[in-house]
Formats: sequence, structure tokens, C-alpha cells
Amino acid sequence: MIEAELKKKRISGDYGFFIFKLQEKIENPDAGQFVMLKAPDEPILAKPFSIYSYKNRELVLFIKRVGRLTGRIFSSPIGEIFYVRGPHGNPYISSIDLTKRYILVGGGSGISPLNFFSELHPELTYTKLYGFKEAHIRKLFNENEQKHLVIEEESGHTVVDALNELISEEVGIIACGPIPMLKNLPKNAYVSLEAVMGCGVGTCKSCALKTIEGVKLVCKDGPLFRKEEITWEWI
Amino acid sequence: MGVDLSIEVFGIQFKNPIVLASGPAGFGFELQPYLDFSKVGAITLKTITVKAREGNPPPRLVDAYGGIINSIGLQNPGIKGFITEIVPELNKLNTIKIGSIAGFSLEEWQLLVEEMDKIKEIPLIELNLSCPNIKGKRRWAEDVKLTQKVVKTARELTNKPIIVKLAPDVTDIIEIAKAAAEAGADGLTIGNGIQAMRINVETGLPVLKLKTGGLGGPAIKPITLARVFKTSEVLDIPIIGIGGIMDWQDALEYAMAGASLLGIGTAVMVDPQSPTTILSGIEAFLKRKKIKRFRDIIGIAHRGGFSVS
Ligand SMILES: Cc1cc2nc3c(=O)[nH]c(=O)nc-3n(C[C@H](O)[C@H](O)[C@H](O)COP(=O)(O)O)c2cc1C
Repeated sequence: MIEAELKKKRISGDYGFFIFKLQEKIENPDAGQFVMLKAPDEPILAKPFSIYSYKNRELVLFIKRVGRLTGRIFSSPIGEIFYVRGPHGNPYISSIDLTKRYILVGGGSGISPLNFFSELHPELTYTKLYGFKEAHIRKLFNENEQKHLVIEEESGHTVVDALNELISEEVGIIACGPIPMLKNLPKNAYVSLEAVMGCGVGTCKSCALKTIEGVKLVCKDGPLFRKEEITWEWI
Repeated sequence: MGVDLSIEVFGIQFKNPIVLASGPAGFGFELQPYLDFSKVGAITLKTITVKAREGNPPPRLVDAYGGIINSIGLQNPGIKGFITEIVPELNKLNTIKIGSIAGFSLEEWQLLVEEMDKIKEIPLIELNLSCPNIKGKRRWAEDVKLTQKVVKTARELTNKPIIVKLAPDVTDIIEIAKAAAEAGADGLTIGNGIQAMRINVETGLPVLKLKTGGLGGPAIKPITLARVFKTSEVLDIPIIGIGGIMDWQDALEYAMAGASLLGIGTAVMVDPQSPTTILSGIEAFLKRKKIKRFRDIIGIAHRGGFSVS
């Protein structure tokens, strides 16, 4: 695995930006792909994180604190060494209709791959909606980004409400976020899924997903799927 | 001076003792971009059943202190799918392939052994008698008589070496190991995941959909290691030691306890390159100790350690 030194962090509540400097480069990551990140000791497994941004061996992750590994990252001092490998998973552009432009709908840490998408593929980006519950999140984002934030605490609207005001036939939807949010999306949306992963490369079969074509793996066949393709009861 | 890492067991020459354990490495292909298979002694392929299985509903994996619990549920394409889709690809992996099978009845075991026997790409067969992740099913390896029955059945149907994968969490593993050997097993794999679970305190429910699963990783190493040690004390049959090998020291402990081959499961999932890292660690250790052949340290813990040599 590649050494990744924690260079900077900016935290608000349970969300934060973390910048890692990698000792070696990872191969041309594209939006939707993820890295497997491991703490030096506990927990044992590496966990998948979507890439928020990547340039010159500098990896930016936007992380929500949920468990042991993320807790560890939040409390780590600058200079701490982690390990990464990747990129794994398929770029969004390998599965979407490239003749369309897309509304990028993110919920919580789900905004990560969407940000990378808008950076790498501005021509395919129609607009971005970044949904959060809490208003304190605003201080993590710069002036340009403020307009993309849809904050439930402020407006009483969810990001899906905001989306419904914008949708039209011509524009597509790519969404990433919590399962209840994804389930509320209109038809034909592409959804980017999270799953408990073991290996991240398709061997261990931990991130199984039931689809109309049988069981697939989020790591190897995804993370992007068409909403209608998924047997949601299995999740 | 080079170190000789090779080892001959079951009448087969392995270039080194590292074996990818059944499951975490799948059929190997996905790992090829990350792992140099020419440096791996063997891969035990994902367990195959008669019918294709989609596996258990997720979540199928959860972190536990010092290990991971999985309940994949033997997701696999079934023996037919295996033969048509996987076997033709196997020669791409430059290492020995051990075929792993699991039947749900004696007839199924029969069929699986017969099919495996015909596959020339697969020189050895592992009987997975110990999968902890099948709903409502007792493990064959919990019962002396059942173990014996399956091994006997298999023995009559093939001349290929038969390895029996035992459960580490049984009342008396030696009794079951003896039964397997008497019934004609050429080798033993000790062991498999240990039945385990976690509960989400917020929901008050088991984390895994199947409720329980098999614990692998560092937490089980001292337990499985003791089983390997005890078994090799009383039985003279090659053992593949599996359970929590994360680094070269772990691997050497198994060799010193009496294992001829060293299986790596969880570690491959954490870092697909770990088998080669572990192998170079073993090699460096042997050089430092001025031991010419890996096989000289097998079971050394039974022979008074290094002071005797
Ligand atoms: C994701 C996963 C899938 C597994 N699938 C199988 C399997 O199909 N057949 C089998 O015999 N063992 C299977 N195992 C058990 C491993 O081969 C191994 O015995 C166990 O994980 C202990 O080794 P470890 O501590 O190195 O992981 C699986 C383990 C894991 C983690």
C-alpha cells in the first residue's frame, strides 16, 4: 500500500476535509472511483473512501465520522501516516449517457465523488446540490460553493425537494448519499452506492448488491447503478 | 546464498509455502493487477457448491476487535458455471490451484469430487467441511462420523490428493483430524473462521443479516495456532495452517507449530500484496538465522526450538 501522510484537516462537527500527501501517485483516478484507506493498526480492514479531489499526489477526502477508522482519522495529529491503495471501482463516465448533462445530488459525505466529477467533467455538469441537515457545515465551504448547499435546518427542504424543482427531461441525475435519500429520487437517476467492503477489488464478495441481473458487487461492478436496476429490499 | 523456500507435500512441489486461503482471494483473477502470482505457492479457490449460490443478504462483513466477521454464504457460480466460466481462465494464474468444494448431502459431495477429479488444471481438492456461514446447517466438521463419511466417499472417487478443511471451534479437533486421516485424507487445513457475532447497540439487532459469521484475522491466530500445534503433535500428516496470518512472524509461528503450508485470508483483503511481503519477510528471517531451507523449521517448536539444530 502507499504511504499517505495527513497534511491538513478542517473539521466541523462530524464532517471534515482531510488532505493526504501520497508517497507515490495513484493511477489517473476518475470521479466515482475510491481508494481503500487503512489505519496503521486498528481497525484491521482498509475502508473505501470516494475521492473528493486528487492532484499531484495530493488526495482530498471529505469524511463523515461514523466508526473506528473515521474516528481515528478525525483525532489523528497532522503528520500521521495512513495507507491507501487504488483507485478502485469504475469511473462514472464509463456507465453514464455521455450525451447528457447532469444534476449532481449529494447527501452528506456523498458529495465527495460528485465534487470530483464536476472538477474533471465540467462539460457534463449541469449543477450541483449538496444536501446537509446542519447549518454549521457552511463554514467548511468557500464562497463559490455556498450556493450549492441545501441545508435542511435553514430551509426546511431536503436536497431531493431542491432537485424536484430543477428536473427536466434533458438533464440526467447522478446521486450519492444515504439510502433513504437515494430511494426518494425520481426514475432514471444514476445512484452511486456505498457498501461494506472487504477487499475493494471484487474477490471477497462482501459488498454484494442484488439487481435485476442477479447479484453484483458494488466495488467491481459499481459504484454507479441505475436506480431501477437495484433490488432495494436487499439493502 | 539463496534460501530454499520450496516444499514438497502431497507429492506436489510448491515453490514456497504461501497459500491464498479459500474465499478472500476469489478465483484470483481480480488480484492479478496487484499480486505477482508467480511468488505465491498456491491458491485455494473460492468454495464451489453444486448449485450456484447468491450468498447471504448484506451486511455480510463487520469489523471486530482484532479481526473481521464475515457471512458471505459461499456465493459462487455453482459447479457448472465454475467449469465453463472459471476453469478455462485458470492457466492465467502462474501458481498451483487447489479446488475447494462443499456439498450439502453425500450425493452432492460425490458429484463435486467427480467433477473436480476431471479438471486437469486442479491437482488438489480441498473439502470445506467447516464453513460457518450457511443458514440452518451444522458444519460437517463438527461430527466425527460425518467427517469420516465425506472423506471416505471422496477418497473412493479420486486419486488426487485430498485436503480436509476443519473447524477450529469444535470440542476435540484431534479426534476429527484423526478420523479424516484414517478415512484417507492426505492433508488437513486448520482452520476456518470461528463462529462469532456483533450486535448494534442502537438497533439492538445483530449487525450481520445472518446474525452470526466466521471470525478471521489476528484475534483467532493464537487459537488456531494451538490447534495446529496439538494436531501435528499426534498426527503425521501435512497441515495447511490458516488463521490470522497478517505478517511474516505470524506465518513463521504456524510453520514452527507444524504447518507445512501457510494460508492467508484476511490479510489479502487488507492488502493484496501482503502474500509477497510475508514471503520476503520469511526469506529475510531464514537468511538472518542462516537456515538454508524453509522446510527445516517446520515443527521446530516440537523439537526444542533452534537450540537443538
Ligand atoms: C470474505 C471471506 C470469504 C471466505 N470464503 C471461504 C470459502 O469460500 N471457503 C472456505 O473454505 N473458507 C472461506 N473463508 C475462510 C478463510 O479461508 C479462512 O479460513 C479464514 O478467513 C481464516 O483465515 P484468516 O484469519 O487469514 O482470514 C472466507 C473468509 C473470508 C474473510
